[in-house]
Formats: sequence, C-alpha cells, structure tokens
Amino acid sequence: LKEITFVPKKFSKIALEFDEVIPDEIFNWNKSDIEKFKVPVGNSRFPISNYFDVKVEGAAEGPEEVKMVFEGDMGRLKYIGCGMSAGQITVNGDVDLQAGAEMKGGSLTINGNAESYAGREMKGGALTINGNVREYCGATYIGDWRGVSGGVITINGNAGKQLGECLSGGEIYANGNVDILCGIHMTKGFIQIEGDVTQWPGGQMKNGDILIKGKLGSLLEGFEFEGIYTDPEVDGKEFTGNYIKYIGDIGVDGKGRLWLNAEKNRDLL
Amino acid sequence: MEYIVKNGIVYDPINRINGEKKDIMFRDGKIVTDVSSDAKEIDVTDKVVMPAGVDPHAHIAGPKLCVGRMYRPEDERKGVVAKTNVTRAETGFSIPSCPATGYRYSRMGYGTVVEPAVPPLEAKHTHEEIISIPNIDVPTLPLFGNNWFVLEYAKQDNIEDLAAFISKWLKVTKGYGVKLVNPCGSEAWGWGMNVHGIDDPAPYFDVTAREVIRALAQANEMLGLPHSIHVHPNDLGHPGNYPTTINTLDCVKDIAKNSKVRDQTIHCTHMQYHSYDGTNWRDFHSAAEKIADFVNKNDYVTIDVGQVTLDETTTMTADGPMEYDLHTLNGLKWANKDIELETASGLVPFIYSRKNPVHSTQWAIGLELFLLIDDPWQVSLSTDNPNAGPFIRYPRIISWLMSNKKRMDMIENQYVHKAVEKKSSLATIDREFDLYDIAIVTRAGASKVYGFEDRGQLGVGANADIAVYDINPNVDDPSNNPDLVEKAFGNALYTIKDGEILVKDGEVVKVKPSHTLWTNVVGFEDKEQRVFEENIMPKFTQYYTVKFENYIVHDQYLPYPTEYKVYASK
Repeated sequence: LKEITFVPKKFSKIALEFDEVIPDEIFNWNKSDIEKFKVPVGNSRFPISNYFDVKVEGAAEGPEEVKMVFEGDMGRLKYIGCGMSAGQITVNGDVDLQAGAEMKGGSLTINGNAESYAGREMKGGALTINGNVREYCGATYIGDWRGVSGGVITINGNAGKQLGECLSGGEIYANGNVDILCGIHMTKGFIQIEGDVTQWPGGQMKNGDILIKGKLGSLLEGFEFEGIYTDPEVDGKEFTGNYIKYIGDIGVDGKGRLWLNAEKNRDLL
Repeated sequence: MEYIVKNGIVYDPINRINGEKKDIMFRDGKIVTDVSSDAKEIDVTDKVVMPAGVDPHAHIAGPKLCVGRMYRPEDERKGVVAKTNVTRAETGFSIPSCPATGYRYSRMGYGTVVEPAVPPLEAKHTHEEIISIPNIDVPTLPLFGNNWFVLEYAKQDNIEDLAAFISKWLKVTKGYGVKLVNPCGSEAWGWGMNVHGIDDPAPYFDVTAREVIRALAQANEMLGLPHSIHVHPNDLGHPGNYPTTINTLDCVKDIAKNSKVRDQTIHCTHMQYHSYDGTNWRDFHSAAEKIADFVNKNDYVTIDVGQVTLDETTTMTADGPMEYDLHTLNGLKWANKDIELETASGLVPFIYSRKNPVHSTQWAIGLELFLLIDDPWQVSLSTDNPNAGPFIRYPRIISWLMSNKKRMDMIENQYVHKAVEKKSSLATIDREFDLYDIAIVTRAGASKVYGFEDRGQLGVGANADIAVYDINPNVDDPSNNPDLVEKAFGNALYTIKDGEILVKDGEVVKVKPSHTLWTNVVGFEDKEQRVFEENIMPKFTQYYTVKFENYIVHDQYLPYPTEYKVYASK
C-alpha cells in the first residue's frame, strides 16, 4: 500500500483542480513527481508543492494500492477523486465542487461538508460524505439526461436541492434531511432518505424508487396513491413498518415508485 | 507573395484534370500560369492536390446554433481543445463553438461552407456569428418557403413582384440564394398543424407547396440567380415520403434555366431523409433506387445527401413540425422557435445508433444515393451538419465511398444492424469512388451547383484555395486502406485559402477572417422600390414586431463581403 498525504501549507483563494491527481494517474509517482506536478488554479497552473507538504510512504503496483489522505480544510479544492477507478481517498475536512464526480470505482470518504455536484455522473465506487452536501449531489452534467449509473453515495448529513437528478442507476442513501426535487427526472436506481424532505420528490421521474422515512412537506400532483404496504420490499431491500406507495410522475407517463413512511405522513391519507 | 505548389498529383474536375502530376502557382491570392524565380516552393511530391472543399449545406451559424449551444451544454463539453498561440480554445462536438467550426473545416481542407437556412429576421445575428467563424467563406441562404409575402405572391401567381421581393430581400439580408424548408408546413405549424405532400394547402393562405415551389423557381430564374432554388421538401423523415420528393422535383420540370453558371433548376437537400418507402417505422425501407433513377433521368436536378454518420448529434431545422414529431419519437428535450412571418424551427438531440435497424438503414440509404446516382456532378457530400452527423465525419464518409471492403465489413460483421441487408440494396452495390469522384462530390460539384466561378477549381484566375492530402495515388490503395483515407482527409497536409497557408500537417497555423458571399441583383431596382412601398412596407409595419430600420443587415455586419453581381434577366 502506498499512502500519500497532503498537508496544506498555503491557502489559495482561487480553487485548485485535482482531477488529474487521482490514484489512476499517480500510483507510480514519487514524492518529487507529485510536488512538481502543476495543477490548474484559475487560468494558470502551479506546482502542488506551493500549496501542500506531500508525504509518501510505501509503494504501489496499481491504483488499487493507493491511499490518498488530505488533512485539513480542502474548501478550495475542486474535483477531488474525479474520474478515479480504484484506490482510496480520505479527506479530513470540507471539500469544494465536484468531489467524486465521474467516479468509476474505489472509495472517497469526506469527513466534512461537500460543495455542489459531489458524485456527479458516478458509474461505480463508493462516495461517503460524513457532513452535509450542497446542491446536485449524485446529479448529471447540466443539460444531460443520463445521470449516475452505478455506485453508492452515502450522505450522513443533510443534502441540498435536486439530489440524484436524472438518476439512471446506482444508490443514494441520505441519512439527514433533503431539500426539494430529489430524484427529479430519474429513470432508474434507488434513493433512501432517513430524514425529512421539504417538497416535490421525484418530479418527472420515469422509473426507479424513492423511499422517505421522515416527513414530506409537499407532494407533487403527478403522483397517484397506489396503496399502503406493511414491511415492503423495495429495490430488493426489506423495510419494516407501514409505507404509502405512490406511482408517478404521471405527467411524463412515469412508472416511478415513491414510498413514504405512513406514520410520519398521516396527513396525506 | 508568390508560391509554387510543386509536384503534386492534381485532381481538378472543373478543368478536367484527373490525377496529373503538375505544379500549381499562385500570386496575391489567385492562381496564375507562372511565377518568378523568387516564388516560395511548397514541395508536395506525389501527394493529392485538390481545390479547397466546398460544403453545399451545413448549419454553422444562426439562431438555431445558438439555441443548440445554450440548451446542450453536455455537447459543448465534448471536443474541448486548449488554445494555442494561433487558435482560440475549442468546444463542442455536434455544435462546436464558432472558432472551432472554422478550424475544423480548415483542418479538412475546406474553404467555403454554405449556411443554408437563415430566417431573414435573424440574418443580422447570423452575420454576426459568421464574423466569429474564421478561415472559411460563408454564403447564406435566406428562408423564403413559408414567408407570408411569398405565400401571397404564390397564391396570386404574381411572379414578377415575387422576383422583386426576393431581389430586395437578398439585399436586405445579404443573402446568396433562395431556400425553402417544408414549404407551407412550417407556416401550418403556427396553427399547430403540418402539411402532407405538396398539394396540401397551408391554413389561411390556402396555397400549396407546389404553388410555392413553382413560384419561387420561376422568380429565381427570372432573376437568373447563381444558385437554383434550394429545397428541403415536405414530409422529411416520414416513411413513405419518396412520392412527395419526386413530385417536388417533377413540379419544376418545365421551368427553363436562366443561368450560365449552373446546370440545375432545383437543388434538393439532405435527400437521404426524403428517400423512404413503407408506411411506418416497422416496414420502413429504402426508396433510394427510385430517387436515384429519377435523378439519373433528369439533369435539371442536383442533390446533397445528408449522410447519417451514426453519432450522437443535434437535429436542428426550420421544419418546426418535424422536430416536434422527432421529440415525440425519441423523448429527448425539444426546443422550438417561432420566427414571426417567416418560419418556425426546432431542435432535438438525437442518438443515431449502429445497433438500431432504422438508423442503420438511414446510413445505408445515404450511401445508396451516392452510389446509385450515375453522375457525381449531381450529388454532393453533406451530413446536413449537424442533423445526420457532425461535419468532422466527412473524412469517414469519404472512406466509406472509396472502399467497398469497408462497407461490406460493416455489414457482414454486423457493425451496423442486419436490417441494412433487408431494407436497402447497399450490400449489392460494389461501386467505389476514385479520387476524381471524391473531388467532384466534395468541391467541384458543389461549386458548380452554387455557380461559383472563383472557387472549387484550380484554373487560372480562381482563388488560391487549395488542399493537399497525405495520400500518394501511385502507391496507396484507398479501396483497401480506408483508415488511411479517413486520416488523410481529416488532417490536410496543407490548406491554403486566398493564397495564405492556414493549415500545415493537420494543424491550424494561421487564422484569417471569413468572407461573406452575397448576391446583388442589378436592374430590378424600380420594381423593387414599387413592390416595397406599395405592398411590403404596409404589411411589414402592421405585422412585424421590429422596425424595418432594425431589420435590415447594415454593411458593418459584413466586414469582408464578396459581392456577386447578377444582371436580372440576362
């Protein structure tokens, strides 16, 4: 195992972009290769050593043997783990936009808050955010209709707007509260929310499952009540308790399934 | 500045030069017969030399492109190339940024590209966009087929006033020729309808496509414009639409040509989309043989193909109702644009899949048209960019045309769907284009169709627009080496435009501003003035949301104009 540690030494107000510094690219780089490498900062590039003290321990034959650790606030570090297909990355602090975007494999753990577009267009791997995440987590690229197609996103804090927009596969677990329009335009996949949802989950969804264990603020008109199920099986997983099942969004002839905890959402019955 | 392009093997069909080893000389941007001993030498020994390419039909500038770029950011992120010392950054695949459009055409050895659908109301914007496209000269074709003034003149069969209107509107929009898109159909779309066939009248105006096509063809010939009418017929992309196409071509048969610079009286565009038999998408099959047969028997017709390239692309056309149909078919996002008294356009992303029986058959129909039309002067290469595929695929299409082996590989190894063998005759055609044929369908033919005398050829006095490709015709066998052909035509060794070297070894080394080509009809001014004052202006003031003063394309929109003067009725 090769452990590469980044300790910040100078803060940049302009964000650094790290999509080229992922296990797939750097598994055979030595300490000075990494320090010399110039990352994009705004419209220029500067060496990593301007901003970080880099420690390298051990050796790796391939990306799966790499562990990258970022110590401290990475609030101006974009594209961490973007496009990675193997290995582990841990960030002990907050991250900027696009963390884990286009991930194909491996794992990325953020022990802090994440900015928007975390896990955009993931195809595989595991993204865990132990803090809150802003808008468009697990979403697609702006304009595209093909979203996350695989992998697992776990959010232990709250999630912002349009979580899992255009979800086309994969799973999203939000253990806190979620803002409006989660699962908008989704066609496949599974979203499970432990906390409360403000409003409008599943707008224009065509297919897939959204399960909400907390209280829903308001439901879209495009969802039709189908029934109340006890201990239902949803997306191959078993859940205990009573759930209200809706089908929608009928506005787009959707066959998506929205499951709401019946006890918490009695007002809808 | 003098140059001599030495020892190349020249294909210049307009001057009947077929693979002769000869030098091409130019001075101050024009081809000449000799140069002094100071001339700079460009050694291209045994490489293919052709006039720079002429694209007869590619949507590269205008409001549709802008809407496309705005609503498809996911396309813009493809094809990103960083800036160099010479070029600006490039973005986009099917709808590239304006500079990228110029660079990419330049790399393929093209020099002139026709923007074939400009709503007159948006002509100003189109010309602004052309200013941002470097390295290629751009003529534009304003849309007339659903224009309210045209519909009324056609209804009254008032050809002289219609000709005066066209003559005036070419000056107003700085346009080159007359374009029709789904005549009467796009007007019907304003009422939520379409027309089917050429005898189905438009609502309110009660005029048929037949009347509009004939009226515009007669007016076009009365003026003697350098290009014939340029028609996108009704019923695009509908199974069983080939009779409409043949009726469209047939309805102008008796109209006499009044131009020495071209051979045709009607140019039918993206013919692939208009050559369908069957009644629905299940029994849909090719009618390319019937269309090709008609074209072979009628020399007043020219076409471009609109070859499907099997890519994810963006469809965009001034055929509003067709785009809505397409959106209901594939369910992808749809944009619609209404242009007041003139037209209605739409956009839908489209994924042409090689595994899909319909898309594969469309691919085959395009190639059938190329191969079944005997005279290559009647058929030009286009993808209706970006509708059937982006223009950067031209080199690949050339490789398909030159190699039967490549086509059969794709069919037999089921790279394309096996429906190709059942629904088209492509697998039975073994014709292969040679470099001379390719020079016709990619430059000389299109140049002739547009009546250009200064380009598309390497004769003395022509513009020094030259392309050199890395193929040695004495050694290389395009039939057995399609990959080489694709690479060579995609990365010109040299692209020379107006005597300046713009591309060397596939890299853009120089950027120059584009010229805008337009037609100025002389000798119709009195009639224009009368029609304009008596008929046009009252309606213009009543119905348009803009003032005429803000509608007209002023000279500053054409910083580099190339004006073609036409003396009406001569």
